[in-house]
This record gives sequence, structure tokens and C-alpha cells, in this order.
Amino acid sequence: MTRKPRLGPSALAFGIRYGSLTYLGLVLVFPLLGLVFDTLRTGPAAFFEALFSPAAQSSLTLSFAAALIMVGVNAVMGTATAWVLVRYRLPAKSLLNALIDLPFAVPTLVTGIMLVILFGPSGAVGKALAGRGMEVIYHKPGIVLALLYVTYPFVVRSVQPVLLELDRAEEEAAATLGAGPATTFFRVTLPALWPAILSGSALAFSRALGEYGAVVMVAGNHPGETQTAPLFIMGAIESGEVAQAKAVSTFLLACSLGALLLFKWFERKTEAQDER
Amino acid sequence: MAAALLWQAGCGARRGADRDVLTIGAFSVVREAFHEGIVPEFQAYWKAKTGRELEIRESYNSSGAMVRAIDAGLPADVVVLSHSEDMDALARSQRVRLDWDRSAKGGVVAGSIVVIGVRPGNPRHLKDWGDLARPKVGVLYPDPKTSGGAAWNINAIFGSALLARGTQSAGERELDEARRLVSLVQSNVINMDVSSRQSMANFLDRGLGDAIVTYENEIVLSQKAGHAIEYVVPRSTLRIENPAALVEDMVRKHGNREIAEAFIAFVQSDRGQGILEDFGFRPISGTSHKLPATSAKLFSMHDLGGWRRVKAQLNGYRLKALALAELRGARFR
Repeated sequence: MTRKPRLGPSALAFGIRYGSLTYLGLVLVFPLLGLVFDTLRTGPAAFFEALFSPAAQSSLTLSFAAALIMVGVNAVMGTATAWVLVRYRLPAKSLLNALIDLPFAVPTLVTGIMLVILFGPSGAVGKALAGRGMEVIYHKPGIVLALLYVTYPFVVRSVQPVLLELDRAEEEAAATLGAGPATTFFRVTLPALWPAILSGSALAFSRALGEYGAVVMVAGNHPGETQTAPLFIMGAIESGEVAQAKAVSTFLLACSLGALLLFKWFERKTEAQDER
Repeated sequence: MAAALLWQAGCGARRGADRDVLTIGAFSVVREAFHEGIVPEFQAYWKAKTGRELEIRESYNSSGAMVRAIDAGLPADVVVLSHSEDMDALARSQRVRLDWDRSAKGGVVAGSIVVIGVRPGNPRHLKDWGDLARPKVGVLYPDPKTSGGAAWNINAIFGSALLARGTQSAGERELDEARRLVSLVQSNVINMDVSSRQSMANFLDRGLGDAIVTYENEIVLSQKAGHAIEYVVPRSTLRIENPAALVEDMVRKHGNREIAEAFIAFVQSDRGQGILEDFGFRPISGTSHKLPATSAKLFSMHDLGGWRRVKAQLNGYRLKALALAELRGARFR
């Protein structure tokens, strides 16, 4: 074991340390605190009244339900994708691998437009689905679809490195002892992947809660039906109902922060497992 | 420091003896009419009148966003908004005079009416507001929470139903029936878009919906751009009145009150209204010579008791669409 070379108390080290901390404070923490204090200043009564108004409640319910459905699908499909990318021989694998990150690179508004073109009432797939009585765009399924697209990379990118590092010896031992492929996967591989799946899901969830760009193009934006929380916030800001906007924003912020703290917790657990 | 001084000197020179500057902050709907018509014509008018070059800086945004920008200190000398409720918000924050609507012509600079845009030949036979409440008619108008235009649209539907029953005697039953018409139409709205322009794009480019509720001038503009769209004027509809005002602290700071006042007067003059007519607006007084005559009964927000009253009667535009079951077979009489 070698000791890390210690940086002396030089001006450079000092500058880097406090410079980056100041930057973190200015860019991240200050705006957050600004919103929270501004919301609290109006008092808890006004805060809860705004938060529990019917329109705010239904928009929050919709946002949470859509995000949870998305997480369920993407946790399974993301893990499967990571599995395929790591374990299977595929042609053009590096291209496929790069494709996974596309939702991060495409502006979310463009994502929405793409979905409308394909699944919209006059789109190729949308028309066929409408003929069978299924409406996607401007209805709730469209919201889930948009969330599935924008959050696809999270679970894949969180599971993939764990799967790459995984010691195949344990799986081989299980097979030698007579376990079938399914038993091996569920009893040996999956337990090692759980923390990564959950942390990826937590990131995807907190991202989905606040997604505006892709959702605004595909949600119907009917209050009480197809209006998500970010759409509600936008409407409240535009019509001068600042208290409502702030209350719902602060609540979303708290939930996203909660999901991310959960993510950090699982990440630490994953690290602990790696060191074992 | 030196650069800042140079910059200031540069600005000083531009605002100097040979050149006047006026900044306009306006809501998006008047963009084409102002940028291509009013602005160059007023520059020519000002040059002929005073012999001075006038530089006009234009800034356009949705009405609500413009209110927030000017509130936050956007340096506009003249502000043009969608409706008086937005202007009142600027009056409350003392950006414009509290009695802005007591200036000439009530501060109104542009007029139009709310109409129903339809596909060529009107295949669904949509003639009046009640037709938009029929089952399986796809309607487009934007979210009244984010678009000033949508507020006009909804007020038109609500107001025509209310006036048909007589405003003076409008009790809870009449209000409920008028609200019911709005709810029925809203249930047929496919997507509550962010802005009128987005609704128009959905209607024209994506072939969405059978009808779009919007300003007459927006449809005239689309027709001029070569789009296949027609419109019908319902039996009774709302007269749209877009106000303008001076931003007091800005004209004081820039010392151009005279120019700003002349600009508003120019837009309100026969010449200014004639330019707006070319872009599909209706003159604020008298009848239009360039737009088809209409036998529709026109009413104003004043006839409905003002913006605040209607907004309260419509529950702050937070009308929930009716449940589908309730919608089936429901007709508005």
C-alpha cells in the first residue's frame, strides 16, 4: 500500500479547493436555497394550500404515476440492454453502445417532436394505433413514452460497468453445481446487479419528475387529466400564480433530492460490494 | 474601463443630435404587422415630420412573458400587450400609469375578432360555438394559463353563451350553462398548446383537428403565407382589443416621451389602422374595408363586465374537461 502524495498547502491547492467549493455553492446551492427560502417566506399555510389545490394535486399524481411506470419498464429493459451489450457478440456493437446515449444528446423538445411525428394522430404508427382505439400522443401513454425515451440511458449506464467487472467464476461455479441459466441469473447475477439497477432507476425517476421539454410536446395539457407537474408550474408562472408555482417546484425539488440521496446510498453499497 | 467609456461614448453619439431611438416591447401577434408595416412607415413619418432619423428597436414575446420582462426592467419605451388585464399588471407595479386606459381611444391600438378556423370547404359544417362542442370534433386552442390569445378565445365562447341569455339577468343557472359550453368545447381540445402560434402549427403542418379558435388576423396571416385554411365568424363573437402604453420610467430615462406618444398616436391613426388592416386586423373604430363584412353580433369585454369578473366566473380558467361519459351524447343547445 502506497501513500498518496500529499499536496502541500500551496496556493494552487488552496485555490482549487475553495475555488471549486465556491463554484458549487454559486451554481448549485444558492439557487436552490433561493427557491426554498422564497417559498418558505410565504408561510406554511399558503404553501400547503397551494400544494393541495386540486389542479396541483392531480398534476403531481400524474407525474409520480408516469415516472413510476417508466422506472418499472426501464429498470427491466435497461438491465436487459446492458446484459446484451456486455455478454453477447454483436455486429456494430460500438455503434449500438454510442446509440444508448442519444437521448442525452438530443434536445428534449426534439424528442417530443419525433414522437409526435411517429405516434401523433396523423403519424404513421399513431394512425394505425388510433384505428384500434389506442390514443398515445396528447394522452397519458404519450407522457410515459416521452419519459421512457429521455431516461433510457440511466439504468443501462449504471448496470453496464458492474456487469463488465462481475467475476464470472461465481456464475460458472453455480453452473457446475447444477444450476440452470435462470437459477444462476436470479440467484447469483441479479443480487450483484441490484444496487446498480436501483441507483440507475433513482436517477431516472428524479429526472422524469421534472421533465418538461419532451412532455410539453406530447401531453394534452388538460388540467386534471394530462397536465404533469412541470406543465402545471409553467402555466402557473405564465399566469402570475407564483405561489402555486413555487410550492409545486419546491415539492418536486424535495422529491428529486430524496431520490438522489437514495441513489447515493445505493452507489455506496455498490462500491462496498466491489471492494469485497 | 476604457472600453466601457468608449461604449458609452458610442451610445451617446448614436443618441446624439442626428438620431432618435425608440424601443418597443410587444406581444408576438403584432410582430409581422409591426416589423413589416408600422415600424418602417413610422420611421418615414417621423423623418418627414421632424427631419430626424429614428432607430426603432423591437422586442417580441408572448404577452405574459413581456409583462415579466418589463417588470424586471427590460428597457422598452412603448409596450403593446394582448389584453388590458396584462397591462393592469404593469400598472400595479407602476411601470405604466394607473390610468393608462384613460388615454386616447382607451389605450387600444389594434383590434380583431375571435373566429373559428376550419379546413377548406368546412367539411364538418362548423358554424357556431355550439358546433365545437359536438362529439368527435377536434378543436385546437392554446392553454389560457400560458397564452393571452386563449383567454380571448375562451371569453368569446363563454361570453356569447352568456349574452344569448342576457347578461343583465345572468344568474347562477345562466353562468353554469355558459361554463358548460366552455367545458364541452375544452373536452374537444386535442392539445392545450403553449401558444396560439403552436396551435396554428399543429393545425396547418400536422393536420391536427377540425377547427382552431383564434384571432381573425392570425388566420388572414396564414392565408397570406399560402396555407389552406378558411374561417367562419360565429353568430356572436368577441371584439379583441390590444392595448399599448408608455413605460413611464423608461421614457423618462431615455427622454423620448414625445416619440413614444407619437408612435402610439400613429398606430391609432387612420394610416396606422390601414397598415394593420393589410395584416388582417380590424380597425379599432369604424368598419373594415379590406376584410369581409360580418353580420355577427360583436361584443367587448366591457359588455361582459371586464376581465377580472369573467376570469372569476370561469374559475381562473382552471376549467376541467368533462369526463368522457358525461361528454357522450351531451349537446349544447
